[in-house]
Amino acid sequence: MPAADETNTASVALVPAAAAPETDLRFVDEAVERCGKTPDVVIPILQELQDHYGWLPEAALRRVVERTEITPAAITGVSTFYDMFRHQPVGQHLIRICRGTACHVSGAERVEDSLRRLLRIPATQDTDPERLFTIEQVACLGCCTLAPVVKLGQHTHGHVSVEKLPKIIRDYLDQTRAAHDPHHTERPLRRGGNGTVYVHVGLGSCCMAKGSDQLFLALQNGAAKAGANVVVKRVGCVGMCHRTPMVEVTVPGRQSQFYAGLGPAQARDLLQRHLRPRGLARQLSRLWTGALDLMLDDGAPDAVSRCAMDTRAPEVNAFLGQQVHIATDGFGRLDPLDLDEYLAHDGFVALRRCLNELTPEAIIKTVEGSGLRGRGGAGFPTGQKWRVVRQQPGDKKFVICNGDEGDPGAFMDRMLLESFPYRIIEGLAIAAVAAGAHDGVFYIRHEYPLAVRRTRTAIAEMEKRGWLGDTLLGADYPLRLTIKEGAGAFVCGEETALIASVEGRRGMPRLRPPFPAQSGLWGKPTLINNVETLALVPWIVRNGAEKFAAIGTATSKGTKVFALAGKIQRGGLIEVPMGTTIRQIVEEIGGGAAAGRRFKAVQIGGPSGGCVPARLADTPVDYESLREVGAIMGSGGLVVLDDADCMVDIARYFLQFTQDQSCGKCTFCRIGTKRMLEILDRLCAGKGQRQDLTELEHLAHQVSHGSLCGLGKTAPNPVLTTLRYYRDEYEAHLAGRCPAGRCRALIKYVVNDACTGCTLCAQHCPVNAIPLTPYQRHQINLDLCTRCDSCRQVCPHQAIDVK
Amino acid sequence: MTGRAMSTFSITLDGAPVTVSEGETLLQVARRQGIDIPTLCFLEQCQPATSCLVCLVKVKSGTTGKLVPSCATRVASDMVVESETVEVHAARRTALELLFSDHVGDCLSPCHRLCPLQLNIPVMLRAVDTGRLDEAVAIVKQALPLPAVLGRLCHRPCENGCRRGTWDQPAAIRDVERFVADRDLKSDRPFQPPTKPATGKRVVIVGSGPTGLAAAFFLLREGHGVTLLNRHERPGGSLVREVEEGRLPAEVLAAEISRLKALGAEFKTGAVLGEDLTLDALRRDFAAVLLTMGEHARTRATALGLEATAGGLKVEPDTGLTSLPNVFAAGSAVKPTRQIIRAMAEGRAAALAVNQLLRGLKIQRAEKPFSSMMGRLDRAELKLFLNLPSPAPRTPPALDILRGFTSAEATGESQRCLHCDCRAAGDCQLQHYAELYGADTTRYRSLRRTFEQHVQPGGIVFEPGKCILCGLCVQIAERAREQLGLTFIGRGFDVRIGVPFDQSLEEGLRQTGRECVAACPTGALAFKTD
Repeated sequence: MPAADETNTASVALVPAAAAPETDLRFVDEAVERCGKTPDVVIPILQELQDHYGWLPEAALRRVVERTEITPAAITGVSTFYDMFRHQPVGQHLIRICRGTACHVSGAERVEDSLRRLLRIPATQDTDPERLFTIEQVACLGCCTLAPVVKLGQHTHGHVSVEKLPKIIRDYLDQTRAAHDPHHTERPLRRGGNGTVYVHVGLGSCCMAKGSDQLFLALQNGAAKAGANVVVKRVGCVGMCHRTPMVEVTVPGRQSQFYAGLGPAQARDLLQRHLRPRGLARQLSRLWTGALDLMLDDGAPDAVSRCAMDTRAPEVNAFLGQQVHIATDGFGRLDPLDLDEYLAHDGFVALRRCLNELTPEAIIKTVEGSGLRGRGGAGFPTGQKWRVVRQQPGDKKFVICNGDEGDPGAFMDRMLLESFPYRIIEGLAIAAVAAGAHDGVFYIRHEYPLAVRRTRTAIAEMEKRGWLGDTLLGADYPLRLTIKEGAGAFVCGEETALIASVEGRRGMPRLRPPFPAQSGLWGKPTLINNVETLALVPWIVRNGAEKFAAIGTATSKGTKVFALAGKIQRGGLIEVPMGTTIRQIVEEIGGGAAAGRRFKAVQIGGPSGGCVPARLADTPVDYESLREVGAIMGSGGLVVLDDADCMVDIARYFLQFTQDQSCGKCTFCRIGTKRMLEILDRLCAGKGQRQDLTELEHLAHQVSHGSLCGLGKTAPNPVLTTLRYYRDEYEAHLAGRCPAGRCRALIKYVVNDACTGCTLCAQHCPVNAIPLTPYQRHQINLDLCTRCDSCRQVCPHQAIDVK
Repeated sequence: MTGRAMSTFSITLDGAPVTVSEGETLLQVARRQGIDIPTLCFLEQCQPATSCLVCLVKVKSGTTGKLVPSCATRVASDMVVESETVEVHAARRTALELLFSDHVGDCLSPCHRLCPLQLNIPVMLRAVDTGRLDEAVAIVKQALPLPAVLGRLCHRPCENGCRRGTWDQPAAIRDVERFVADRDLKSDRPFQPPTKPATGKRVVIVGSGPTGLAAAFFLLREGHGVTLLNRHERPGGSLVREVEEGRLPAEVLAAEISRLKALGAEFKTGAVLGEDLTLDALRRDFAAVLLTMGEHARTRATALGLEATAGGLKVEPDTGLTSLPNVFAAGSAVKPTRQIIRAMAEGRAAALAVNQLLRGLKIQRAEKPFSSMMGRLDRAELKLFLNLPSPAPRTPPALDILRGFTSAEATGESQRCLHCDCRAAGDCQLQHYAELYGADTTRYRSLRRTFEQHVQPGGIVFEPGKCILCGLCVQIAERAREQLGLTFIGRGFDVRIGVPFDQSLEEGLRQTGRECVAACPTGALAFKTD
């Protein structure tokens, strides 16, 4: 044993203070018991360990190797590939910072800087010295309309600002002391009868991030107390994410009333507004408590009426009017988990028809005839894909629902899974019947816990009725459905990488051909379809190919769901006919840029897509038209940028993402994207050199042509489109200017003549770069200033300029 | 294959139809056709890794097409494939250049690269260290025209670059080289470097200083006849002054000049160009004339009918040709050169140009030998190199200037070499193809990763910075069912190869170490003793 004084500080720092007690390995044995011992279950086992320990202690990994057929090489390779697995202990509380596109343009970086300052987490580490808090960057939490977003423990917070952070953290710490059940919104609910008043509460992840779960509970409590014939109903996403939490009250015989932005405090007032209590005594008591409320909280009932929305209002009409709901049919009305309600809304009619009336050939013909193309990004004709799998010899085939929606700025698939799990199951089941598969897999990213839970619950519900498993809807067609959770790797959205991941390997893509349709999961023919693609299938089968094909353009049929976010008035989840122009989406549905700002471009297609400038906004959304302008349809993330967004920074942002998510297999992607990123970093830091632009362009083409899989091939797109449309901005950066005033190294904050010396900026400056000089024009010390933007945000006189 | 006849069909490869069998890869087909498609991560007995992508070919479809790795792409009927085109080569070159931008290691040691005559110093030192003196002699005497002279007078640029010098003191390279050269001169049968068959052509070299002597050495080895004209009685030019000043024993210079004579050099002394002989006459009698008469040249330029600059004779920079055809000039005749080894390097370059002329080739300067370069190392990185070499301080030169190193001193000093040159140099696919494709190793240069070297008990040296992540070793270990084996650790740019649970390579590769070293396409895995 070395003497105590020989122990150097470095080794002390490596020993986590909290990990002193030996790892209790009994949990490992239990996890192995639950998951199995074959090599393919390595990811589920690791997920259990990660959830239990908060990280992966080596002792636990060795135990897994001892107790299973998983090799040391496999467990090491897999556990270091996926983002969700940690090999270092975590702090008591985990804070996830969303770095999605919308969050990025809304100041996620500033939020992270501020969190680090608040929690005293050094720049090179992710945990504070006391191991209280660990911060983690997440590619995208899929709550883009609420950007910037952070997730504390189980709870997501939207519209976070540097100013709000201290309170958010205090509240969180208070809450964690109180017991909390994150599954309270998953419980089965009461059903109404005749004359029931329904209160629909949107319980998608975004809505919940804005507190709809709290509102929901408050309404339930209130309804229980009121004793009236009222059902507080859980529904999926309502689409109008910019107004969440959304509530719709339907009273029989009357027009339904929408409310937006209600808080739990107004729950009782809302109920009172719509319920006629039975009996005089109750009416009196209502008057009395109402008066009391008035005394305690001025104007509370008024708050409710202020939240009331007129659905005929032009803005609501503009948002909803142009939409066509196929994948999102029943949005805001259906309880995601109420199987009977789904049945009542034509649920499983299509599947039943496929089982009883249509031959697989007829199903495929229908899908082919509809012109449906894959909604995951590439737009391959869906029917053709089904046919190839159908034609493969052999009995064993697989269908996979690709729910690994990894594009930052996209949340369509999350919303569809959260809101319409039965519809996706139906779509997948139809695909299975058409292709001749008896095993289906849902591959859903673990960052979407609600989507996973709802899909799991829906499958269980079906199994309970004997509608899945040995028979399908009672027909003699065995179909087993399982869920595999992703573990944090964007590249797993690529089909061959997804298969590798399902098989329990590192999610590395491989050369195609052979295509998964020929040789996929476990070497068997495998049909992989995206969530949205599957969501459209039941409607097509029910309504016929022609009806679907009647919507859209010559080459792109039907509708497309977009996650509309960014610098826009009305963000949300929209479903529009193909061929709708970008301008209609941005200006009419989205209401255009914020007041005083100018719509500059849309980023469409995420990291594989490109930036379409406002002058090309009349481009219709259609696979071919978008490709022509250098973008791609992608999965449907649509982030609107305004004149405060720097296009070089946007290119850098996406490249940072793809570079970080590269699997590292092929030279072009592994090293090429890194070198491109370095050039962009130099440009944004004002250290670019003339030849950097030519080298960047050269590399972009080489990486795009040379890379092995779609990730690498498309990674340069954001760079290429911005170079194509905004070369002047690149040139400006070479000259040391950032025209949008965004790149920190190239801007400075200065106080203008409007300053009254109110000291608000000085009080809020986190780094004391502004001396507290009352009634004098303030000065900003640029050497101390971190360009955090706090001063500009708090200044009541617009006295801070960015130059 | 179960008896089913293999179907054959035709594809187009670089414009020519080729008959192929179903299931073949494009790489197999191309190699059969004699096309050398580069590969790094490909090994016949392993699954194609499709990771390095230096084997890209273009599969055309209509007017466009896409680049695919030929190692794993199987033929399909009517495929149109391009391999040897500018576009495909550019893509392969980019792949190589990207790999080099993340390659932490030197192919050649700094001393080797800094030597104007490119003496492979570390290989020489290791030959001395292991007692293979004949080998050391051969290495020295093929690179250096007058090794015993240089062993005494060279200004030692090599030692300036020696990595050992940034740790304590550089290896005494020149003294070891002198030891080797002296040993050879003193032996009964001094080393005679091989020469090419005689061409029957004669070159006259005017002036027998370091430049002229060096040019003679390299021209003789190319099979040409050489006559050296010298105005003084004793050949050697500026070297004679060194003799007179006592830094160079006369017999050493004489002995080395006699070695040149043994190679076939003819010396004519007392002949002065412009007085006894005219340039026209020389041009008539010899296939080429090389002027190496030192700084006098400038003053006599006009008389000889040559153009001059402020420094010396005017020559074309790339060829060394003067304003007259077939008349070359080099060394101080063109630009004053102080250092003997530089003067000799000039002589070598001139010899190369003359040789190209005589053989009817395009005259071009020799490129510097190809090498990846990792630049300056910090002390912690340097320390890794000190596991194997001798920790002794630099051996001081003998007090008696005439003596030189003893055998023991030479061996001891050789053991101080850090072996910072790559163990795979000359046997490295990456180096080979980079040279072939003219890859610029610094094109995408960026911040260098930390140099790492792990010397394993079993004798394997692992240098992760040289790993290109082909994963062949991972596959080999997995196939042999190694208990621990190797695995990829991490993802993306930071992925690396390692043994699970931080165990040593020795533990990871209990049975397959040798196989993995043999399969490694670069110097990431090598044996200590190789």
